[in-house]
Amino acid sequence: MGKATVIPFGPQHPVLPEPLHLDLVVEDETVIEAIPQIGFIHRGLEKLVETRDYNQFIYVAERICGICAFGHSMGYAETVERLMGVQIPERAEYLRVIWHELSRIHSHVLWMGLAADAFGFESLFMHCWRLRERVLDIFEKTTGGRVIFSVVQVGGVVRDIDDAQLAEMKRVLEGIKDDYRQICNAFLKDSSVKNRTVGVGCISHEDALAMSMVGPFARASNVNNDARCLGNGGYGKLADFQPVLDAQGDCYARVKVRALEVLQSIDIIEEMISKIPAGDIAVPVKGAPAAGAETANLVEQPRGECYYYARGNGSKFLERMRMRTPTSQNLAGMATALAGCDLADVNMIVLTIDPCISCTER
Amino acid sequence: MAFAIKFAPLTVEELPALAAAKKADGWRFVQMLCVNTEDGIDMIYSFMKDDLLENHEIKGVQKGTAIPSITGEFLEAFVFENESHDLFGVDITDIAIDFGGNFYALAQKEPMTVISPEQQAAREKAKKLAAAKAAKEKAAGEQAPKTADDAAALEAKLAGMDPVKAAKVRAAMEAKAKKEAAAKQAAVDEKVAGLDPEKAAKVKAALEAKAAREAAKKKAAEAEADEAGAAAEEEGE
Repeated sequence: MGKATVIPFGPQHPVLPEPLHLDLVVEDETVIEAIPQIGFIHRGLEKLVETRDYNQFIYVAERICGICAFGHSMGYAETVERLMGVQIPERAEYLRVIWHELSRIHSHVLWMGLAADAFGFESLFMHCWRLRERVLDIFEKTTGGRVIFSVVQVGGVVRDIDDAQLAEMKRVLEGIKDDYRQICNAFLKDSSVKNRTVGVGCISHEDALAMSMVGPFARASNVNNDARCLGNGGYGKLADFQPVLDAQGDCYARVKVRALEVLQSIDIIEEMISKIPAGDIAVPVKGAPAAGAETANLVEQPRGECYYYARGNGSKFLERMRMRTPTSQNLAGMATALAGCDLADVNMIVLTIDPCISCTER
Repeated sequence: MAFAIKFAPLTVEELPALAAAKKADGWRFVQMLCVNTEDGIDMIYSFMKDDLLENHEIKGVQKGTAIPSITGEFLEAFVFENESHDLFGVDITDIAIDFGGNFYALAQKEPMTVISPEQQAAREKAKKLAAAKAAKEKAAGEQAPKTADDAAALEAKLAGMDPVKAAKVRAAMEAKAKKEAAAKQAAVDEKVAGLDPEKAAKVKAALEAKAAREAAKKKAAEAEADEAGAAAEEEGE
């Protein structure tokens, strides 16, 4: 063994779209220890809840992250509704699930493109992102936005999707599904993908449990943890929901879980479209959360479980709003996955946890 | 699965034992957060098992109080403990990966403990509203039975009087009530006249709406009383 050396990785690195720093302690080409650091872009968005009332803050919440924008606005609204005892109309619950699952598809396909780019499969990267554009087109037609949608309000949603648009969405998703299966085959069967991912960055089931990992990162280590199983909102209306799991715990398993979750999300949307009831899309919400009232909520974002906490102070301004995002929960797991890997695999392992630093540094 | 959320109190001394018990019992660590309050920092530790999300709350942690780290049991808590130190100034001891105050690059030290003017105003407004509501409820509680008793006593008195005299007394009372209402209206008009016209129009509209609401309420109460009386008569028959 050679002498231990510390190699700084990031915060600026070609594989990282956002600033994450790792101190990699290496001996020869093997990483002995990895110490993660964030904190380069802390924005203080949680503090803004003091100067924006609970209706205005929804627009701040959805700007926490460009990929999970819808999920954050939905999670925030659900938390405030829980705090104030508001029951939203059933149609709004279905619409929220449809948009949230579309967000998951676009997040996963974006990530698959980035992963393909990281292991040098450029054409696969382009196919993924071309497919993602079609999902963004659905967003544009139904919400008017491609990144920030602003369709959630406390008490429901602000826009409906009519029957013609729902039928069109179903037709487009059928087309996407056919094309996606080809991309999925490349990810799951191509030898060049397997060479870079199989047996790399393994996390055992026990370690995943011990690190309280969440999201596809945990499910790839056979941890049956998916907040959608809790049946909050429209997810309680699903006939049957079983999380996608894999037991291998390596980078390939993480690719596989996300790849299969895209198909699962398309099935969920189709089920929601077939079952969506007619009716109102929002209820008026008046008053303010009581002083000292507090509640918590869990939402399964594309990258994993997100925890929301809210406390009222009797005014329209919340006393505290907190979002614990999946990446902050997975940093310890990432450090564990990196210990013992080859230096050349670091970028692949970091990517397969799908870190979102803008979510983490709200 | 039915999602359940529980909040429970916790003390600093109980924290290490709680973390050890949760670890041994197969719970997973969900998060740790802080809330800046007038009585100190509230710290909330969340754990989850199956469908139960438990939030354990240490209230009013004062500056300088040492909080033991739980990274011995849950390594993933290092992110939240460093964050609590940097943003709230909470002194957490023995963090497994301790950044010593350099976890976040911040322009201001302990920014989450700064009480913004907006937050202060919101807190004061909420306090005033709560106090006003409590006073109103107290006054209503004291006055309502008295008014009802007075009205009942007056009716009983009038019933025992000569009908002509009783009618005169009723007319005098109605005239007095009208006079009082007119005086009240004149006082309001005088006050409104001194306001900006746009604001005055708003105040007038609000007062009219209030009067309409009260009239509707009174009418509904009378209708209800009539119905109750009719029902009682029917039962008597």
